[in-house]
Amino acid sequence: MTTLRAFTCDDLFKFNNINLDPLTETYGIPFYLQYLAHWPEYFIVSEAPGGELMGYIMGKAEGSVAREEWHGHVTALSVAPEFRRLGLAAKLMEMLEEISERKGGFFVDLFVRVSNQVAVNMYKQLGYSVYRTVIEYYSANNGEPDEDAYDMRKALSRDTEKKSIIPLPHPVRPEDIE
Amino acid sequence: MAARGHVQDPNDRRLRPIYDYLDNGNNKMAIQQADKLLKKHKDLHCAKVLKAIGLQRTGKQDEAFTLAQEVAVLEPTDDNSLQALTILYREMHRPELVSKLYEAAVRKVPASEEYHSHLFMAYARVGEYKKMQQAGMALYKIIPKNPYYFWSVMSLVMQAISARDEKLSQTMFLPLAERMVEKMVKEEKIEAEAEVQLYFMILERLGKYVEALEVVQGPLGEKLTSELQSRENKCMMMYRRLERWAECNALSCKLLLKNPDDWQFYLLYFDSLFHLIDQSWTPPHEGAHSAEGEVHASISQALSFMEDRIATEEAKESKHLRGPYLARLELIRRLRERCCPEAQQLGEPLELMFQFFVKFGDKPCCITDLTIFLDLLAPDQYVQFINRLMEAVPLCAPGEDGVALPGDTRALQRHLCVTQLSRSLGQQHALNTEGKLSLIKQLKAHYRHGLQFGKSCLKTELQFSDMYCLMAAHVFIDLWLETGDQNMLWQCLGLLEEGLSHSSSNAQFKLLLLLLYCRLGAFEPVVDLYSSLDAKHVQHDTIGYLLTRYAESLGQFAAASQSCNFSLRFFHSNQKDTSEYIIQAYKYGAFEKIPEFIAFRNRLNHSLHFAQVRTERMLLDLFLEADISSSLEESVKSMSLCPEEDDIPWDSLRDNRDLTVLVSWDPKDRQLNEEHKQRSLEEDTLWLRLRSLTLRLIGCVSALAHPPASRNSEKTTENGVTAKPSSLQSLLSQLENTLNQATQFTEKQPQYPFVGPVASRLAQALSSGCCQCQLSSLQIPLHLQELEATGLDESAELQTQISNLFKSLAVQLQDMLEKCKGDLLEVKDSQSKPQPFLLENHVYLVETVCIVLWVSNYCGSVLRPLKSSLQKKKKKKKEASTVTPPVLSAYQEFSSSLQSLLNQALEHIKSQEISLTALKLGALSLEGQTLSEAEATFTKMAMEKVQSSYLRSLQEIGELLKKRADTLKSLKI
Repeated sequence: MTTLRAFTCDDLFKFNNINLDPLTETYGIPFYLQYLAHWPEYFIVSEAPGGELMGYIMGKAEGSVAREEWHGHVTALSVAPEFRRLGLAAKLMEMLEEISERKGGFFVDLFVRVSNQVAVNMYKQLGYSVYRTVIEYYSANNGEPDEDAYDMRKALSRDTEKKSIIPLPHPVRPEDIE
Repeated sequence: MAARGHVQDPNDRRLRPIYDYLDNGNNKMAIQQADKLLKKHKDLHCAKVLKAIGLQRTGKQDEAFTLAQEVAVLEPTDDNSLQALTILYREMHRPELVSKLYEAAVRKVPASEEYHSHLFMAYARVGEYKKMQQAGMALYKIIPKNPYYFWSVMSLVMQAISARDEKLSQTMFLPLAERMVEKMVKEEKIEAEAEVQLYFMILERLGKYVEALEVVQGPLGEKLTSELQSRENKCMMMYRRLERWAECNALSCKLLLKNPDDWQFYLLYFDSLFHLIDQSWTPPHEGAHSAEGEVHASISQALSFMEDRIATEEAKESKHLRGPYLARLELIRRLRERCCPEAQQLGEPLELMFQFFVKFGDKPCCITDLTIFLDLLAPDQYVQFINRLMEAVPLCAPGEDGVALPGDTRALQRHLCVTQLSRSLGQQHALNTEGKLSLIKQLKAHYRHGLQFGKSCLKTELQFSDMYCLMAAHVFIDLWLETGDQNMLWQCLGLLEEGLSHSSSNAQFKLLLLLLYCRLGAFEPVVDLYSSLDAKHVQHDTIGYLLTRYAESLGQFAAASQSCNFSLRFFHSNQKDTSEYIIQAYKYGAFEKIPEFIAFRNRLNHSLHFAQVRTERMLLDLFLEADISSSLEESVKSMSLCPEEDDIPWDSLRDNRDLTVLVSWDPKDRQLNEEHKQRSLEEDTLWLRLRSLTLRLIGCVSALAHPPASRNSEKTTENGVTAKPSSLQSLLSQLENTLNQATQFTEKQPQYPFVGPVASRLAQALSSGCCQCQLSSLQIPLHLQELEATGLDESAELQTQISNLFKSLAVQLQDMLEKCKGDLLEVKDSQSKPQPFLLENHVYLVETVCIVLWVSNYCGSVLRPLKSSLQKKKKKKKEASTVTPPVLSAYQEFSSSLQSLLNQALEHIKSQEISLTALKLGALSLEGQTLSEAEATFTKMAMEKVQSSYLRSLQEIGELLKKRADTLKSLKI
């Protein structure tokens, strides 16, 4: 039971219960504003009846249509500890997928730390598969390379032959991804 | 960096190395390279601008500006120069100059789409809405693209939003915007979704809800596709504004059938239902109920709608939704509020909540869900309710310690939920000391037992049983607050440290530890705790107060500077950052976001915390860095502190603190409420006012001691430092008034929930005597000015007055010192009791000493020439008289009393350091408590952290005081 609505700037003052999680990054203001200015429909928050924020998803649409790479991308997805195990993340993903469908995307993709098994498994359950590994995609606070990422994908209806999700045989470097 | 598009241009090739140097942060090389290039190509203007960027980035703002203006007056029209100047002006925080630049460029190249569009954006950056409107239209006339036209329309909307006169908005700006859009509609030129959104926005702001509804439902509405349910949401909004409850009801029904878990539509469904009942609404004789279909206008319909939703859930095998069950409780609440007997038909809340618990008790959010409806229970049902729930918790047979434990994580979660509910119902608070201690024992048993389920947890995950540990800590705090028994606090800290050692990512443990250490006066451990929270950016505004409230007041000056800096860096970047995204919003047609971004920028600029850190940071810099001679003036100058200017938006301060960041399961009457928030804001604002006035008064004193060089000239402003006697007097009376208000405020002794807002420094500052003492010392310069004007001969009365002020100030300082005496960690009956207020009193003493020294320095500067002219006179007349004017002897007496005071204070700090170092806390037994070895270790660890922190605070305070004491000799006259 939640209220699903567009994320607004004021929510930035209330999302501590979600963002104090060690795997949830708090970005600089420009990052959030960029998403709100460019892809407001892709930034959705869910609110509990008591007013607490439960979780949010932030995404965008990008890629070339001609090369069949036009797709939805999940930039951030996080649910506060007390609102986990309710299928909220799945619901938010479903919404992002539907928006991407409407925009005529070929697939939806996301990056996840290879160590974040909980998330990797959840995405697998939601129909995502590992498309490729991106070496040292994540860096620590000091700028040193920290960890690899999985680039996971799920084909949308426009990609009838599911060409977009055929796994790459070799890992790639962050500078090689588009 | 921009402007590297045209590769063919030889100038680009020449400029490239400079760009590269700038990009890599090698500003010196960039400047050199630019100089080299300028020798060969004197009129390569862009090179000058790039050099200016290099200068700007190396702190040579004035030089940079002059150089940039050399180019700007030429009104350049090459891309490179224009873009480089734009970057430079932005870095200089002079966005208004960018508009000037492009105004000239557009004049010279009137057909350039690019320059026109830059001009529009330049205006957008500074919020020149009228000029934006014109620039947008000019652009559309050259290149008739829709976005340009709608930029102009949006600029009209912004004029309406920002207009002081609401009438002007409603009768001029918005109607004009509406007509502009209508014109495009008529000509069938509407292309994009953003254009329809904007049309809707205009109609909504005009209150033309019917028309807005028509747009959404008509063919234009078909363009609203990006956002999910966009048309439905907008229709719903309009139905509510129009009070079309039938449509509102029917649409909520439809949306709930689609998603029976969307809470907002239950609320709308109930709202509309009761409005319809109140209006005795009846369906039309023929045709559909409403434009949105079937309407429920009676309680019986609502009951059956709810029963259907629940039946649908019940029929499901798995993945039951919580919405319908909670909505049923909500409906009961609403029916009861209206005294409708039908409430009973839905069932007994206790039973329904029990059923909910059976279904969802193993979800961590069950407590949050049920807490909202606890008020449906009568107080005499509480025990029965908890017992009933407990029946549905599968626990193993009690072990030897008598505690029955859960066998898996689901059972654990259920048990935890009941425990949380029992706390929310006040059952834990009702226990006596013994009961609470035994509860803690049980909670600890559950906590430690539960750790076995999380053995494979990653370090980024929480332990399943963490909340037991947190709750035990809460009960310890209850006990501490009730009994004052310090042991409770030590054990609480020990337990939380233990919890953190098993669950290193638990933010709640960290936050509570942080709060407790602060309350204990130990800031040192807080630094690491806060940094491990990895709080960033906007979090500096929302939870930064936890750090900045305490760092300085506990004498950890270095940490205090640092924490203020974290916050300030965030706030300073905000202004520039948000402006860029306002521009982006125009580019992407996210018109709804533009007012939102502007409101957001204001919310940050008007942040209470921003004003606090700005003020405290300046005070701190002065206390730490400025000794009494010339450097106070330098410091005041460098922070461009202007005593006559108040830069705090008092009437629109925003409290952005997240006061609910710490979890609490306290009963409603102990929870944070609006009144607490209001009072805390009032308290913080009062304290801020005191500090800001003190700061400005220090600025005044500095200006008095070092008046601008051209003393006799009319010009009194020099680098922002001005001080007229009038401002000194007015600031003093403001300080006095605020002090009175503050005293009245603290007499009311405001109390906040422990995990709510933290009290400001106000109460302790007042009781230390520092505010009064600082005021007394700041009043002296006023009289000295008078003396300076009258001279020594004719001022017997004034001199007596000043002498008395000195005497009284000496007494007040001595009183403050007395309030510092005592043991920071008092050991009594082999128990250690921290007395953190002593630490704060030390800090207030040091702050006051700093101010007194600055004031004394000014006094010295006035008295010195008076004394020497007196001596000259004596020599001339060869008088044998040795009578020293009273003011001079009073000043000298005061200086020596200051000397003795500082010696005593330093002595005291030294002795505190020695006794603290010698204190072996580990040797103290924690009496009356049987602690396991592990518990004792963690508790000892916490004690040692406190001890070490006290020591460090004393050292920092001692060092600062010593530095100040060293400057005493320059007070001699």
